[in-house]
Amino acid sequence: MAELFSEIYNCYFQVVKTLIESNRAISLSEAEHRIKSMGFEESVFYLLPKLAGDEWGFFETRDNKLISRLSPDFFTPFSNLQRAYIKSILLDEKMKLFLTEKEISHIEALLEDVEPLYNPDYFYYTDRFCDGDDFSSPNYRRIFQSLLASIKEQRYVEISYASPNGSPTTHRCIPCRLEYSVKNDRFRLLAVDKTKRGTFRLLQLNLERISDITLTEYLQKKKINLSHIIKRSYYKKPVKLIIKNERNALERAMLQFANYEKHTRKIGDNTYECLIYYNKSVETELLIEVLSFGPMIQVVGNEEFLNQLKERLKCQILLDEKTKS
Amino acid sequence: MSEFNELIKSFSKSREYVRDFFVYGFKTRDDFTCWSSRTYDTERRRLESWLPEYVNQDYTEKGKNIYLAIDSNLLSTNPLYRVWKAKSFTDNDIKLHFYILDYLEANEPQTSEEITDGLLDSYNVIFDAQMVRRKCNEYADEGLLLKTKQGKKILYGVDDINHQALKEHQELYDALKLFQLNCPFGIIGNTLMDNLSIENDIFSIKHNFFVHTLEDEVLYKILDGIKAKREVTLEIKSTKTDNISTLTCVPLSIIISTRTGRRFLCCYDNKIKHFRTPRLDTIKSVSLGELCESYDQLKSEELASRDYLWGVSFLAKNDAPTSTVKLTLNINEQTEGFILNRLEREGKSGVITKIADNTFTYEIKVLDANEMVPWIRTFIGRIIDIETNNEIIKHKFKRDLRAMYKMYLNE
Repeated sequence: MAELFSEIYNCYFQVVKTLIESNRAISLSEAEHRIKSMGFEESVFYLLPKLAGDEWGFFETRDNKLISRLSPDFFTPFSNLQRAYIKSILLDEKMKLFLTEKEISHIEALLEDVEPLYNPDYFYYTDRFCDGDDFSSPNYRRIFQSLLASIKEQRYVEISYASPNGSPTTHRCIPCRLEYSVKNDRFRLLAVDKTKRGTFRLLQLNLERISDITLTEYLQKKKINLSHIIKRSYYKKPVKLIIKNERNALERAMLQFANYEKHTRKIGDNTYECLIYYNKSVETELLIEVLSFGPMIQVVGNEEFLNQLKERLKCQILLDEKTKS
Repeated sequence: MSEFNELIKSFSKSREYVRDFFVYGFKTRDDFTCWSSRTYDTERRRLESWLPEYVNQDYTEKGKNIYLAIDSNLLSTNPLYRVWKAKSFTDNDIKLHFYILDYLEANEPQTSEEITDGLLDSYNVIFDAQMVRRKCNEYADEGLLLKTKQGKKILYGVDDINHQALKEHQELYDALKLFQLNCPFGIIGNTLMDNLSIENDIFSIKHNFFVHTLEDEVLYKILDGIKAKREVTLEIKSTKTDNISTLTCVPLSIIISTRTGRRFLCCYDNKIKHFRTPRLDTIKSVSLGELCESYDQLKSEELASRDYLWGVSFLAKNDAPTSTVKLTLNINEQTEGFILNRLEREGKSGVITKIADNTFTYEIKVLDANEMVPWIRTFIGRIIDIETNNEIIKHKFKRDLRAMYKMYLNE
């Protein structure tokens, strides 16, 4: 049985591989930089002397430069586990967004003797929404492919979109990322458009609502920092939760809110404070998630979020009173 | 005192530490009662070494407290994959890896003795022939080398053609960028990206739980049981008491909750003649057992029961087979169509009926109505009535609601 936790996947091996692949002399300072970016925090103390010294012998050191003694065409062959994994993901219906049936068949033929690592049927998502995107639709695939191409080039596109109320709109934007939701089984485009002031504004569009896309000739040259733009879209005041660790509430809350940037600290015996950072697009979803915990967690801020929660409770009281009468 | 090493021999101990730090975002020395404070310090230092960009610290009355701050929606990969890339190795492991592969990529398949001589000639490095043979066999098992017989000789070589053919499918590269984030065993997809020297610059993920990767070693062995239709024996650590128990069962499927972030093994326990669903993160070890003759029959029963499964609970065998839950909800048809959409999308096999203007019922039969309570709470503000033959959940819901009125409205 092949090992999942194996040194062949170790990041030190990976660093050495990329240095060999470089096909040129590498200064020690560049090697140090590469180790720091690909390895762990303390890897450089162990790895650099091994590479610069004679012990492993993969490199000659000349004029403070590493010169590989191995072929620049060096490659690590795929392992059985990696082949089995590829065979498994070929069975996923989302694969048709990337490869044609013919291409899938060709890769399957290359891996003829390989048994898939798993079959997607082994996994059952108990609370996945039942109205996921139709990945087999030719138009959906065409739009997906166009977005892939435009993301890679930071190319402006024009998107025909059906807004949630059904009215058609057009967006001129730069696609930055495709976000897949496991719960919704849907893709959403994260893009930016320019405001009148020339700053970038986050735009989030459901792929299934995109009816058409046109790639323009304009490219955005400067790299867009989408994470920065998303973080900027967060409300200044996070939601502040107080969690009493009863009925395993802390672990449940921490796991359920793992999708959000959060900061938790202990503030008393068995009591914890959790700050959750969020933006308008997930506000309702977060409120629903908080409600699902009932009295096990208490919202104490921010004011706007707390008011929304109180509003729902007031509506419920009115309904309770109506039912009684 | 032994020297600190950021690499580890076994995954299991670090798995516990990383999980706790990751899930909670914090852990103090006092919170870890299972191991010594020196172990805590070592594991904490490893965590700081593996995930430096995510480790923050603040100061409490008790001293420095480190915590992880990770916004999973923003990341191009799962930072916890780094733990999988921390397996320790010897000098000979890494030397043999690069020299044998480099040598065989330039030469025809050879015996291990010929390879040993070839390494000396090509790189001026001396290895023991037995050591080379052992590594070649190990790599043949891993699939990195092809092992063939030629008469009495055993030859080792690299399958260059297959490797290159796969590499030519560039579209697969983009697919890997997505699947490494979203699918089971994403770590393997991620190692493929390492292998192909590609990075994800296209996809991000929502409603995924990065912590699942820490269960993949256990999952891998369970899937072997599912594929082979064999029983497995599990060592399970109770989350409440920390006691270890064993369970021999027939593994049938993996149930994942996208809401709570938990994964479960759905299995059949022959002792009690019923289905069980232990959490994957409580399973500490897995060993394969006997072939299960009635596997297909049990699988059919499990699939049939999904019609009534709200979450993962099959209840005890002797309990009532199903509970009926009927919600009456106040929904403004003109402005709150999205609530009806929610009921349809999230409500499984439940039936939605309009009974009056702006009033709808939602009715469903489930195995364990208790599991529905968190979902029902999300409709607070619209619930006119709950009818059910399970009085306990109705009572529990109303009790919690009263507690919330008191908590937020002081009523």
